[in-house]
Amino acid sequence: MMNNKYKILLVEDDANISNLIAAMLEATGYQVLLAESCSMAKLLYSSYLPDLIILDLGLPDKDGMELLHFVRKSALTPVIVLSARTKEEDKVAALDSGANDYVTKPFGSAELLARVRTALRNHRFSSEEGRLPGGRFTLRDLEIHYEARQVFIQGQEIRLTQTEYNIVAFLSENAGKMMTYSAIIKAIWGSGAYDGSIKKLQVNMANIRKKFGAKPGEENYITNELGVGYRMNG
Amino acid sequence: MKKIRSRYIKDIAITVAILCLSFMFSLLFQYVFDVREHITTVFVFAVFLISFFTRGYIYGIIASLIGVLATNYAFTFPYFAFNFMISANLISAIVMIVISIFTSALVTRLKRQEAIKAESNQESMRANLLRAVSHDLRTPLTTIYASSTTLLENSTSLTESRKCRIIEGIKEDSEWLIRMVENLLSITRIDNGRVRIIKTPTVLEELVDSVILKFKKRYPAQEVDIVIPEEMVLVPMDAILIEQVLVNLLENAVQHAHDMTKLWLRVLASEDAVVFEVEDNGWGIEPKHLKHIFNGYLVQKETSADSQRKNAGIGLSVCAAIIKAHGGEITAENVKTGGALFRFTLNMEDADHDE
Repeated sequence: MMNNKYKILLVEDDANISNLIAAMLEATGYQVLLAESCSMAKLLYSSYLPDLIILDLGLPDKDGMELLHFVRKSALTPVIVLSARTKEEDKVAALDSGANDYVTKPFGSAELLARVRTALRNHRFSSEEGRLPGGRFTLRDLEIHYEARQVFIQGQEIRLTQTEYNIVAFLSENAGKMMTYSAIIKAIWGSGAYDGSIKKLQVNMANIRKKFGAKPGEENYITNELGVGYRMNG
Repeated sequence: MKKIRSRYIKDIAITVAILCLSFMFSLLFQYVFDVREHITTVFVFAVFLISFFTRGYIYGIIASLIGVLATNYAFTFPYFAFNFMISANLISAIVMIVISIFTSALVTRLKRQEAIKAESNQESMRANLLRAVSHDLRTPLTTIYASSTTLLENSTSLTESRKCRIIEGIKEDSEWLIRMVENLLSITRIDNGRVRIIKTPTVLEELVDSVILKFKKRYPAQEVDIVIPEEMVLVPMDAILIEQVLVNLLENAVQHAHDMTKLWLRVLASEDAVVFEVEDNGWGIEPKHLKHIFNGYLVQKETSADSQRKNAGIGLSVCAAIIKAHGGEITAENVKTGGALFRFTLNMEDADHDE
């Protein structure tokens, strides 16, 4: 059984936090590898190839972003960034460099564990699903039939415009991952269309929310994070 | 740009108006009272006023030149002709120019001193806030520190339920600390290098959604009635800061409104402004606190050194600072049915102020 556990590489220089997170993860049944610095993390990553990385951005030797770039050169291993930085620009930078999720300190144990579970699950299942013939995406009452380009909620078809469908499909293919505005815009309108497209995206999202029957403050299928982007929950 | 131009226009208008007035006075003196000797004095006074009310030296100097020409031409012998040969005219010209330069210099210096004073006021306010906050941080830290040492040292002798209660205390107080630090971070975000905050168009519904999700995470039991416009509204703002304001106002209601059962969050949008309202049906705010409610944190600190922590939230002070930085307005009032109503306004246009 030992070898069947998910391996999580935890890169964190603060001993207290690292102890705590390791205890949390081990109690949940994950195997934890600990690294205190960027160089040690690179070493551990290369020799153990963990299933997931939890990465603190403020490391003693180098910025944690460097490890992120290092990993993304060769692999899609999910990375959850952990940081005390609260600025949206920092979140956007980490997400655009390939981080799957971003957890701001201070956080609760439930929150972190939920993000870990989501990242592991989506990495294994949903990433190829959208490209398969007859591929479907299900999230509670929401169902997307990729081939027919149809979206259903509780069996009822939701009429979406082409752009709206493209956004929903793109978010669902990356379910569980926070997608930044620029990542979505690039995927939907192409990389040349940046200027002024945030507003286009906002208008489309407002329509999608309305068609999905989203009420402010109630959990819906898509979460918005102010100044950062959108995430299909999952 | 617009503002700069309007300032020029204002200064020119002041100059012309004062010069015209003094010209009329001089004519009045000369023809009605037949006084000739003090015409120069009228213009000297005019030059002084102009230098005082306009920016820079230029208007005062132009006014003195006009004044000299006017007195020379119209009010000194030979009448309605220029003559600079008379030494009295020359002297009055020099006097006027010197006065205008000195006055302008003095006014500039006064204005600079005022700015320094305002800055040091702000500095001392920040120092006071820091002192008050540090004082407040000690109480929850004591709980957390003492609780954890107790748990470590008496892990065998404590019953499970007692342990649980101690840990609850740690959780509660750290949550309080988290909120406090969030508020402090907001303040530094405003003060950062004194740059104006960066406003980005934010979808109103997304803002409200985010606020309510945050609020519900902390107070799952409290219902909030939401009224927002049907259509999509984009409002220029620093969304993270306005989110903080709304969360603070909602939290403030939960913590301070006695016997509150209902809580409303309303947003009304018009062409040029958006009005946010947070209303509860509690007892309302005591009238004597109403006046100081947005800087109550400091006022209360000064009067009672050991005021209760719960009353001393810096939340409202932070709200006021954030709204002020947005160029908006925030007010608090009691509604007729009882309960308190907090209202703030944000402007729709993203016009750049050049100050």
